[in-house]
Amino acid sequence: MAAASGGEKEKERPGGGAGAAGGNSTRERLLSALEDLEVLSRELIEMLAISRNQKLLPPDEENQVLELLIHRDGEFQELMKLALNQGKIHHEMQVLEKEVEKRDSDIQQLQKQLKEAEQILATAVYQAKEKLKSIEKARKGAISSEEIIKYAHRISASNAVCAPLTWVPGDPRRPYPTDLEMRSGLLGQMNNPSTNGVNGHLPGDALAAGRLPDVLAPQYPWQSNDMSMNMLPPNHSNDFLLEPPGHNKENEDDVEVMSTDSSSSSSDSD
Amino acid sequence: MAAAVAMETDDAGNRLRFQLELEFVQCLANPNYLNFLAQRGYFKDKAFVNYLKYLLYWKEPEYAKYLKYPQCLHMLELLQYEHFRKELVNAQCAKFIDEQQILHWQHYSRKRMRLQQALAEQQQQNHAAGK
Repeated sequence: MAAASGGEKEKERPGGGAGAAGGNSTRERLLSALEDLEVLSRELIEMLAISRNQKLLPPDEENQVLELLIHRDGEFQELMKLALNQGKIHHEMQVLEKEVEKRDSDIQQLQKQLKEAEQILATAVYQAKEKLKSIEKARKGAISSEEIIKYAHRISASNAVCAPLTWVPGDPRRPYPTDLEMRSGLLGQMNNPSTNGVNGHLPGDALAAGRLPDVLAPQYPWQSNDMSMNMLPPNHSNDFLLEPPGHNKENEDDVEVMSTDSSSSSSDSD
Repeated sequence: MAAAVAMETDDAGNRLRFQLELEFVQCLANPNYLNFLAQRGYFKDKAFVNYLKYLLYWKEPEYAKYLKYPQCLHMLELLQYEHFRKELVNAQCAKFIDEQQILHWQHYSRKRMRLQQALAEQQQQNHAAGK
């Protein structure tokens, strides 16, 4: 009989098939058609064999069988063509699937590369931002070199940060304001000066060392004229007892601390 | 609130406050004064501690340029720590700080003296060699 070359096809045929026996897949239909052909042809051959032995036969049966055989054969041929088409389609599908796989892997490759690129860019952007921040910070802290030199001159000329070259132990000069200097400043003058020796220096030492004129000379830069009004301290200074930033008066009974604030501050932070 | 606003617009008062705070913050460079404050319990007062925190504005360059004794800023920073404030009650602590401060103060003059000595020695050698 015709070879069932489409043996591995299991496609379903859309729509109804020929009303033959067997399942819906082409393969099953092909196989059932083959079986029918086989049966019919066997019958025919038997009938021919019988008719050779006997004389008579109902002629209808022969014709019927023949017709059935032809019919089945026709069906079989159609099914074969169908199987062939389906094979082609299946082949195309495989080709397309391969294409799809190839595109898939291409896309994955691109995705990987994109991810890498994104990471590199993100790092670059982050570092650029950090750089910008540090540039901003540096710019904020920029001070003219002239000012710095002036300041350096000021603090070293008065021996505030570098000892005088002739300093020996016993010299009352110090890198910080001494007792006498503190008392003769604005703070000390405001209240009654306390009688304890605050430092290790008694007031007499300064006189004895002959340093008085220097000590009483303008110590602090406000006595020169460089203070400008917009250099005032931050304005929440009057309340220190409450939680910062709400402060209260800080000047209970401390001798040296300024006490003029109390006269005009009575406000709470709210 | 109205009183505070009035205070801020008071020019003479602000100028005075500036001077006073300038003086006070520089006094903090004196370890003996700090010992004095510690022993009288000022560092235990919360208002005082808050005031010390408020004084940190002197670190800004616009204000710092008025400081004659810049070491006071370092002491101010240290004073923000409770442990330091507690330690300052001891006289030895204050004495130690004082000694170190003075030694550091002499650092540059010592260096210069050494350089001068080295230069003098070298000149002597050259002189002796030249003869």
